[in-house]
Amino acid sequence: MSDENMLFATEDEQMAALNKKELNEVVTKKYLTFQTDNLMFGIEAESVIEIITNYPITKIPMVPDYVRGIINLRGQTIPLIDMRLRLSLMSIDTDCIIVLNVNDMQIGILVDTVNQIIDIPVETILPMPAHNAQKYVSGMCAMPDGSGTMLVLDCPLLLQS
Amino acid sequence: MENNSDSVLEMYLYETNTLLEQLDNIMLSAEQADTLSEDDVNEIFRIMHTLKGSAAMMEFEPLMTIAHRIEDLFYLIRENTMEVVPEQDRPQLFDLLFKSIDYFRNEVSKIENGEPLSNNIDNFLNAINMFINKINGETAEAQGQAQTQPAQAASAVKTSGADANHRYSLRVFLDAGCGMENLRAFMAVNDVKDQCIHEFTYEPEGLETDSSLSESISENGFVMHFSSDDDRKQAIQVVGGLGFVKTYQEIDEEPPQEAAAQAEAVSEPSKVAESTEKEPAPAVKRKVESAETTKTDASGTQNPAHHQIKQSLISVNLSKLDQLMAVVGEIVITEAMVTASPDLKGMDAAKLDNFNKSARQLRKLTDELQDISMSLRMVPVSGTFQKMRRIVRDMGQKLGRRANLTIIGEDTEIDKTIVDAISDPIMHIVRNSMDHGIEPDEETRIAAGKNPEGEIILSAQNTGSEVIIRIEDDGAGVDSDAVLRKAIKQGLASPDVDYSQREILNFLMMPGFSTNTEVTEFSGRGVGMDVVKKNIESVAGTVLMTSEFGKGTCTTLKIPLTTAIMDGMEVAVGDSIFTIPLQTIRQSFNASESDIIHDAMQGEMIGKMDNFYPVVRLHELYGLEPRARKTDDGIFVWVETSESSYCLFVDELLGEQQVVIKPLPTYLNSFGIKEAGIVGCTILGDGNISLILDVASLLTSNAGFAGY
Repeated sequence: MSDENMLFATEDEQMAALNKKELNEVVTKKYLTFQTDNLMFGIEAESVIEIITNYPITKIPMVPDYVRGIINLRGQTIPLIDMRLRLSLMSIDTDCIIVLNVNDMQIGILVDTVNQIIDIPVETILPMPAHNAQKYVSGMCAMPDGSGTMLVLDCPLLLQS
Repeated sequence: MENNSDSVLEMYLYETNTLLEQLDNIMLSAEQADTLSEDDVNEIFRIMHTLKGSAAMMEFEPLMTIAHRIEDLFYLIRENTMEVVPEQDRPQLFDLLFKSIDYFRNEVSKIENGEPLSNNIDNFLNAINMFINKINGETAEAQGQAQTQPAQAASAVKTSGADANHRYSLRVFLDAGCGMENLRAFMAVNDVKDQCIHEFTYEPEGLETDSSLSESISENGFVMHFSSDDDRKQAIQVVGGLGFVKTYQEIDEEPPQEAAAQAEAVSEPSKVAESTEKEPAPAVKRKVESAETTKTDASGTQNPAHHQIKQSLISVNLSKLDQLMAVVGEIVITEAMVTASPDLKGMDAAKLDNFNKSARQLRKLTDELQDISMSLRMVPVSGTFQKMRRIVRDMGQKLGRRANLTIIGEDTEIDKTIVDAISDPIMHIVRNSMDHGIEPDEETRIAAGKNPEGEIILSAQNTGSEVIIRIEDDGAGVDSDAVLRKAIKQGLASPDVDYSQREILNFLMMPGFSTNTEVTEFSGRGVGMDVVKKNIESVAGTVLMTSEFGKGTCTTLKIPLTTAIMDGMEVAVGDSIFTIPLQTIRQSFNASESDIIHDAMQGEMIGKMDNFYPVVRLHELYGLEPRARKTDDGIFVWVETSESSYCLFVDELLGEQQVVIKPLPTYLNSFGIKEAGIVGCTILGDGNISLILDVASLLTSNAGFAGY
């Protein structure tokens, strides 16, 4: 129920944001937000190809543990990165995969849950405080609905070993 | 025509290159025989003529001039047979032709690269002219005869194409030097055809195909015969509007001459049309053609065949073939998905009779489709190999060494991309063989008990899983001590280490390494073998050098066939499925713990057929959780490549399957997964992914681990 409330709230917020945009012509970008452990991340929606669940993962030997393996997405093989392991957190049993297109390379990231797609005014995204730098994050912003802080995921950085 | 000038240029380049290759082959065999056969002379004449014609059409003046002079030269030789060139001048003639081939190649590559043509052809032209004069001096007399005869013959003949129905003729003259006269005439005829309702005839016949008619047309024009004066007037309007038509002339025909005169004229199969100012004799020309055909059987039958080959070939963009391969690959997977569908499992086998029948049929068809689509990309290596003849010849002459190149298996077909990748390496190696391998003088060879003429063997072989190209020479071989000294001097090797012969030879393939103290035109700069290695590795191949000092060197290039579809054995280790290429499997067998022999390094070996082979336990190598930990529970797969042979220990065999190789995602390559023995993956019928093992690199990665 609370989820539903939040959803409605967000819709209102979005409407509000939309109205505001019309008034001030605020440049916004669409972000997909997802949850890993207690962190909320956002990825530019443009680079998201799709969200899939329940795919069998084929393990690959001789790779770092955060590379969980490859999946067969309609005949295409896509490598899979576990967000939790990449952030040196404990892995949990999850099957929610976001397929991304990073530098023309398709890659899947394993996350806890996917939240929503949201318009974020570009100017509200702030650089990370230098002394507090999170790995693989290029910026952060407060959610318009006040539900927390979104960390903007830097995909190319994520792929660097 | 201008709209598709690009495709015209493409056609021109394609045609010219094909002709030059033909010419090269003729010349190489001719040089061996030290003479040109009548067929050869005719063929060269024909080639030069076509080169001239097409160069003229493309307005490449210098090319046209050169081709024209060589055509003149061969006209002389054709008229007076090869006797006209005395024995001692023949090498000069061959040289001249080789030079001209090179000249054409050079210019053509300039055209390909969009560079301007060089106009500096005077020297070359002079050389040809001098040679012509030389021959002419000796055959002035014979020449005189030859000139008069056709002249007489031609004078006896009038145009004969007009019959009683087509009395109104029109002779059309084309602009001088417009080139490709036969085609332009054909265009004119077609234009007239479009305009006129009534049928008409024209001569000479075969305008569109027979480019040898160009000359007679340029000098005497061509003739159209109409049945009425009105038609002719209409045609005049059309012809008059064409840019390349100079003048035209109306002729009202007399009755045709009797055939006897023609027959007489035919007796000398020469270029009747050469004789100008006379009435042209297209009919005679045609007969001459046929006389020639009967006379020189070989070239006569060759020509039509040649045309046929051209028509039955089309060039296709390689990317389209790749697309086709991808789709065929998907079909093979889908077929496996359908026939092995889990839905079928619970069904009564008797009810599946029809299904199985159709499935088998489908399997047969997909196999066929796959074979055909793969063969599309295959081209024989002969083209690349034949080029080596030229290199051996040229270098032999420059270095004063004689060497014979033997080619074995030139019909071996290899994927186009591989052919492109190996052509440079082969050239480097053949050059090395000529420059470093074959001894500089024959005395040394005789003293070593060898044939004074060096021998280079170039062979290609397709073993089913890889292509093996071998370049062997019986030259001096590699002085491994000298190589090692040099390697130490250059800091590539350490003086304290004992190197094996093979390791020493590997120094030769390091960048910048050259044992030659001097830089020659051909080698010594130390680029070469490392380029060879790099190029071969770019197609996932390996280079292997063996050499015996004093006996010769053998370089072997092994390139795996990039057949996208292969037969594999599926094996299971824990939850993972791996595919082992079927060609590499020798045997699979069970063994018990007592069969395993341990060595001091904790390595395991197993005796098989009087030999011992290392054991690689896949789960240990890849850190997997196996179902069969004990030797008795699992199964051994004895695999073998050209370099290594060992036994893989896996949980169980799942069965044989045709698989489509998919490259691993590029992201994974950054983890060195290829070096770990995984070359790709494949999607099984049930949608699962199986990893394809590279048997050769698996052991080396294992050796690396044993070293810790």
